[in-house]
Amino acid sequence: MSGYNDTPEPAETLHRLPTGNPQLDAILGGGFPANSINILMGEPGSGKTILAERLIFANTGGDARPILYLTTLSEPLPKVVRYLQQFRFFDADKLTSGAIRYESLGADLEARGIAALVPRLKELIETLSPKIIVIDSFKAIHDVSESLPEMRRMLYELSGLLTAYDTTAFLLGEYGEDLISSFPEFAVADGIVELARKKLGTRDERYLRVLKLRGSNYQEGLHAFRITSDGLDVFPRLTSPTLPLAYPTGDVRLSTGVAGLDKMLQGGVWAGGATLVEGQTGAGKTTLALQFILEGLKHGEPGLYVNFQENPIQLARTIQSLGSDVADARAKGLHFLYASPVELQIDSILVALFRTIEEHNIKRVVVDAVGDLIGAASDLTRLHSYLNALAQHFVVRRIASVMTLETTQMSRNTMDGQISVLSDVIIRLQLERYGDKTRRTLQVVKARGTNQDLNVRELHITSKGVEVM
Amino acid sequence: MMLRDGRQQANGTPPRARPLILVIERDKHMRELAGHFLVTAGYAVELALDGQFGLEQARTLLPDLVVTEIMIPGIDGLALCRQLKVDSATRHIPVLVFSMLAANGRAREAGADAFLLKPLAEHRLLATVKTLLEARLATTNLEQSS
Repeated sequence: MSGYNDTPEPAETLHRLPTGNPQLDAILGGGFPANSINILMGEPGSGKTILAERLIFANTGGDARPILYLTTLSEPLPKVVRYLQQFRFFDADKLTSGAIRYESLGADLEARGIAALVPRLKELIETLSPKIIVIDSFKAIHDVSESLPEMRRMLYELSGLLTAYDTTAFLLGEYGEDLISSFPEFAVADGIVELARKKLGTRDERYLRVLKLRGSNYQEGLHAFRITSDGLDVFPRLTSPTLPLAYPTGDVRLSTGVAGLDKMLQGGVWAGGATLVEGQTGAGKTTLALQFILEGLKHGEPGLYVNFQENPIQLARTIQSLGSDVADARAKGLHFLYASPVELQIDSILVALFRTIEEHNIKRVVVDAVGDLIGAASDLTRLHSYLNALAQHFVVRRIASVMTLETTQMSRNTMDGQISVLSDVIIRLQLERYGDKTRRTLQVVKARGTNQDLNVRELHITSKGVEVM
Repeated sequence: MMLRDGRQQANGTPPRARPLILVIERDKHMRELAGHFLVTAGYAVELALDGQFGLEQARTLLPDLVVTEIMIPGIDGLALCRQLKVDSATRHIPVLVFSMLAANGRAREAGADAFLLKPLAEHRLLATVKTLLEARLATTNLEQSS
């Protein structure tokens, strides 16, 4: 009787290799599956080698089997090692002890062509028993191949060898997306991770994307990253929470810190609700938003103020002008997150925002101003998805949020309607001129679940803050 | 007949300088790597590419250990294991099922003495082989002393 057509036994859980970056591990569903063949692709300078190098240093522990880093015909080995030493994760002991071995395949490939690769790898496997093999650059091997059929035959052999033996392989290459369907190594790969760079104004934004990862529940889409002295700093794409989003019955209203506004809102804003404060420059948006945060501190609700225009010193002055002491506010749970709009990368801001929320149990958040995010976004669809996910995370976490929006910015982009939809409450601040005088006004133009006062009311900014008449 | 330690071999086969392991495996790389690591570790190795030939080799050579994949041409590895275990001439031979299929339970049901899931990790393979051969030797010694 044949045994293997019966009901299969449960497969063993895939062992996974950490990358040295917890965020990237999360994107990969826990890391790269062990015993897999993976391609790390991207243009020169995209970060492939750094990703691979961080990974090998993260995997030197455990058993005594070494890790092999094989260079081919692209960069000379001394150059690879020289630049590797600039990273904080570099540990010379790992090289001198043989835990990580750098070898060059260049001479073999030049002398014998691609026919040299599989026998040389087999020899290395038989003599060194490597647990990880990195080949950098694998694409360069095409340069010594005489034909595509020859390359296919070699890859069939290579795939068989790497699959038979207990090792995990990473093939690095300067592949563009257009080569995926024509280069045979992509057919044998279990995992494909693309690293890319996009020019945005005077700076570059870097993204990585998992195109394929067998046996893994990986996170699709573009994930931003930066190259730092620790390797790659990855910011997983923000996705909506899976928890139900309905407001719990019996939820409480929170005071905005402005008595007149609370009255217009029948008691304040909902915990977990999103409020948009829109208006011209000087209309009082930042003051109102700060008052909202400071009010939370009075009730033991830690607050986070995310700001892109005014640095913490400038904000401290504004807080003092409202009659509050910054040191006291900080002691009660006020946190600032400042990013210059010039260097603003939305993904990194969101990661920092969530880290602060989790670390300090934040209950009130202000994003001042959302227009700066719009200006920094390379992709408005992506930004809208982010803001939507952000709003939903706030609802689930019962965080009351205020986003400010300059109306002049609003008129320049297509996001205004989309942001309004995300908001439970919309407060419009205006500077109205009559004669040679100007007055500030406030109107609650939208308030979900509230029979709000729709009247336009005068707003005053005093030493005690915002007052609504 | 004598074993390496000078005692009588129970099944009447000639003495061997090195324990003989029959590897039944259709994958070229797996065959070559397993053969390499076993030979390097001091064993004699015979190779078979399919189940029928593997069974014939087992009956002819009476190896000290059979290592077989389940998914091999002809008789599959589990059926081969069963046939070895019902034959009085071969039932004493330890069988290690070394497969790409997660089939530990079915291998044990077929009478296998051990199971390993691929890919090949030589430290696991060599440790299992050593354990099986030592267990077989202990059994032989017990049979001879009783």
